[in-house]
Amino acid sequence: MVAVYKSDVVIVGAGLAGLAAARELVKAGKSVTVLTKLHPLRSHSGAAQGGINAALADDDDVELHKFDTVKGSDYLADQDAVELMCEKAPETIRWIERMGAVFSRREDGRIAQRPFGGQSRPRACFAKDRTGLTLLQTMYEQCVREDVLMLDEWYVADVLYEDGKAYGVVAYNLRDLTPAVFNAKAVMFATGGYARAFKVNSNAHANTGDGLSILARRGIPLEDMEFVQFHPTGLAGSGILMSEAARGEGGRLFNSKGERFMEKYAPEKMELAPRDVVSRAIMKEIIEGRGAKEDPFAVYLDLTHLGEKKINERLPELRDLALTFLGRDMVKEPILIAATAHYSMGGIPVDINGHVKKSATELTEGLYAAGECACVSVHGANRLGANSLLEALFYGRWTGQSILNDLDKIELREANAKEAETMLNEVKGLLNSNGEEKVSHIRNELQETMSTKVGVFREEATMLEAKEKLKELRKRYKNIKLDDKGKLYNTDLQEAIELGHMLDYAMFIVEGAINRKESRGAHYREDYPKRDDEQFLKHTFAYLKDDEVEVEYAPVKITKFEPQERKY
Amino acid sequence: MKVTFKVYRYNPETDDKPHYEKYELELKDDGVLLDALNQIKWEIDGSLSYRRSCRHGICGSCAVKLNGKNVLACKTSIKEAVEMFGSTLIVEPLTKNKEKVIKDLVIDKKDFWDKNAKVKPYLIAEIDEHPESENLIKPALLELIEEADYCIACGCCYYTCESIRANKDFLGPQALAKTYRFTADVRDQAKKERLELVDKLGIGIWDCVKCQGCIEVCPKGVDPFTKITHLHNQVFEEGVAKRNVATKHAEGFVHSIKKHGILDEGMLVLYSEGANVVRHMPEAISMFMKGKIKLPWQMPKSEGLDEIQKLIEISQTHELKD
Repeated sequence: MVAVYKSDVVIVGAGLAGLAAARELVKAGKSVTVLTKLHPLRSHSGAAQGGINAALADDDDVELHKFDTVKGSDYLADQDAVELMCEKAPETIRWIERMGAVFSRREDGRIAQRPFGGQSRPRACFAKDRTGLTLLQTMYEQCVREDVLMLDEWYVADVLYEDGKAYGVVAYNLRDLTPAVFNAKAVMFATGGYARAFKVNSNAHANTGDGLSILARRGIPLEDMEFVQFHPTGLAGSGILMSEAARGEGGRLFNSKGERFMEKYAPEKMELAPRDVVSRAIMKEIIEGRGAKEDPFAVYLDLTHLGEKKINERLPELRDLALTFLGRDMVKEPILIAATAHYSMGGIPVDINGHVKKSATELTEGLYAAGECACVSVHGANRLGANSLLEALFYGRWTGQSILNDLDKIELREANAKEAETMLNEVKGLLNSNGEEKVSHIRNELQETMSTKVGVFREEATMLEAKEKLKELRKRYKNIKLDDKGKLYNTDLQEAIELGHMLDYAMFIVEGAINRKESRGAHYREDYPKRDDEQFLKHTFAYLKDDEVEVEYAPVKITKFEPQERKY
Repeated sequence: MKVTFKVYRYNPETDDKPHYEKYELELKDDGVLLDALNQIKWEIDGSLSYRRSCRHGICGSCAVKLNGKNVLACKTSIKEAVEMFGSTLIVEPLTKNKEKVIKDLVIDKKDFWDKNAKVKPYLIAEIDEHPESENLIKPALLELIEEADYCIACGCCYYTCESIRANKDFLGPQALAKTYRFTADVRDQAKKERLELVDKLGIGIWDCVKCQGCIEVCPKGVDPFTKITHLHNQVFEEGVAKRNVATKHAEGFVHSIKKHGILDEGMLVLYSEGANVVRHMPEAISMFMKGKIKLPWQMPKSEGLDEIQKLIEISQTHELKD
């Protein structure tokens, strides 16, 4: 028998966004169940390194933060959402500081800030290079303090959603496959990003974008999925992140000829140009044969001039990572880096109060999303560094408040045990399937395809190949076989379900990218190298219909920043 | 690089008892242990269960035991492991206690999380929900927290702790380092309450046997042992310390140093235990025979002398409560 649990709100995902919302609701006396397939402290928010933006400094200005963000987004961001976030940024940072976050400080005791790409001022507040860790821990700790019900290692596989209204989720306990229905007036998704679809990526194994395709399978559109940020500095080979803080603190990029090549691509901002610009520059150097001597698929990031003291004080985690994964000490020699799939600008479309949109013009009832899985859209076509922690923390909290405002107006639609059927069938089908394909092989091919054909540089012909390949992989997915048929901690099964989601949302990335015949932010088309505001100053809204993705468009919200050419 | 892995396998659903499965892998020189586990799962046997997520040493999921040492799989270089242990590597869960093993390398960490929860692991302060400024904290005050806030709760230290093995109530290095994280934070309002909790015999700081295993295994350099030592100091500084065998033991240092200039372990026991010292005579004699109790002029200088002297100074200026 499948148990049915009730609470006012169920939140899927326990990173910064999910936890910030949960605390807000519990403090107001609402019952909340937080479900996570990890343990809250294992969430990928904790991996963020460099910083969180707010215009705190005396010579900074919230208006400038807004402008930098909109310009950074290549004018695809919704400006009302950007304005709200930037206005609330100082309060948000001070709020988490008051709750215990251990920010690095200036001599006068105020929160210290460092420069980041695309920002007019040093605006990134930081805790050495472990900013996400201190924020996630603080948020989790205060949730423990408020007695928030957090159920860890529960895998959410389905949403209860009908006639534009959500009323719960279906999940199973990873430990022993016990299924349960979580019935609630409101459901919030805060499930993180989707860069695991790419071979070289900086993401956690958990970032398989489940939340997105769970909703897409129920007819909810996904927005701007083609915009995947490639971080310029992933460690060569593994793609593991070397925070932008490395460049913020003065790191320089060189090719094999010893040229500081950013002079060619962004003479004013140099290494501190936005990520899309620097990523393309690095990949260009590599493609044109000026990659590192030791590794032609990488270039050099040099931090030696900073000295051991500063590196230990500001970037100890990075030094450790380069030692572990490259065997190189950045104090003594340059390290090897290349662009890595990093951040998901697209996602579940929401209005500025976190309500999920069921089309470009209509909202759902009782369904919310925030954080990287959502597209509010503050990052547009390219996110500026240190704006993602801000988005997760601020919009997580704000969405919690928004749910609070709505709750009394929402009537609970009762759920029953039968509604677990779709999930149970999926699980049963996978456990019983007796094909020939290995989950890991299909996943590898998917990741290879996405990296090589829908990567930093894109063009029609190769993307069409990717589309065909996806069709093939989806067919082969029906013929998989699991080694583990047991009930106990079956991660074989979990990986199979996750792959199903990856194959679904990857179609949105490819279809969105094929249809967007322009270059904007992180989406760069060699066959359409110019931004085309006339045709494409709009958001992609795509729907999963009969195994195909249908693309529509919706206008971008512009308040006061008129689109102009983006130069750095 | 060819490496043989002997991996602990146990599925309580189907196995009577655990066994070790052998896997021979060809690995890249720059690979980490997690790559090896992934390779086994993805290429050889999908039924192998282990936890993992971030793959760069920040989430704490993938803690396992490698040739007897607790490590994060994602931060452990295979090349270095082979240099240290040879080309056969043994991978096991953090504990082989059958009741705690869920499957293969996955264990139930309930005891670990429960202990963490016991020390109120959160800042206790009035939270301004809409602040217009941050707390002003000089960098020097922040440095007091040291590395304590980098703990990622992976459990490596907890499942290696000798004291927990002997005393299951002992809070353990993670929870105690967490306690220090907050007692060292000038923003926290519950310093005394926290110190009173860890000053208790049986669960708290006095039951650390100073094996320093936690320092050795911590993948983030948190050094829980030194945090426990700081807590020793803080209970005296804050006037929280109660009269018991452990605090008297600390006071005994003073006598010992005053009398001999260096620490005399035999006299220390006498001072701490008073008349009860007779209970320890058999051990004392045996220790003396083995040369473990030294005559004062033979005493080597302790490596942690600075810390000891600091402790003595503080204990001298504070009266112990009954």
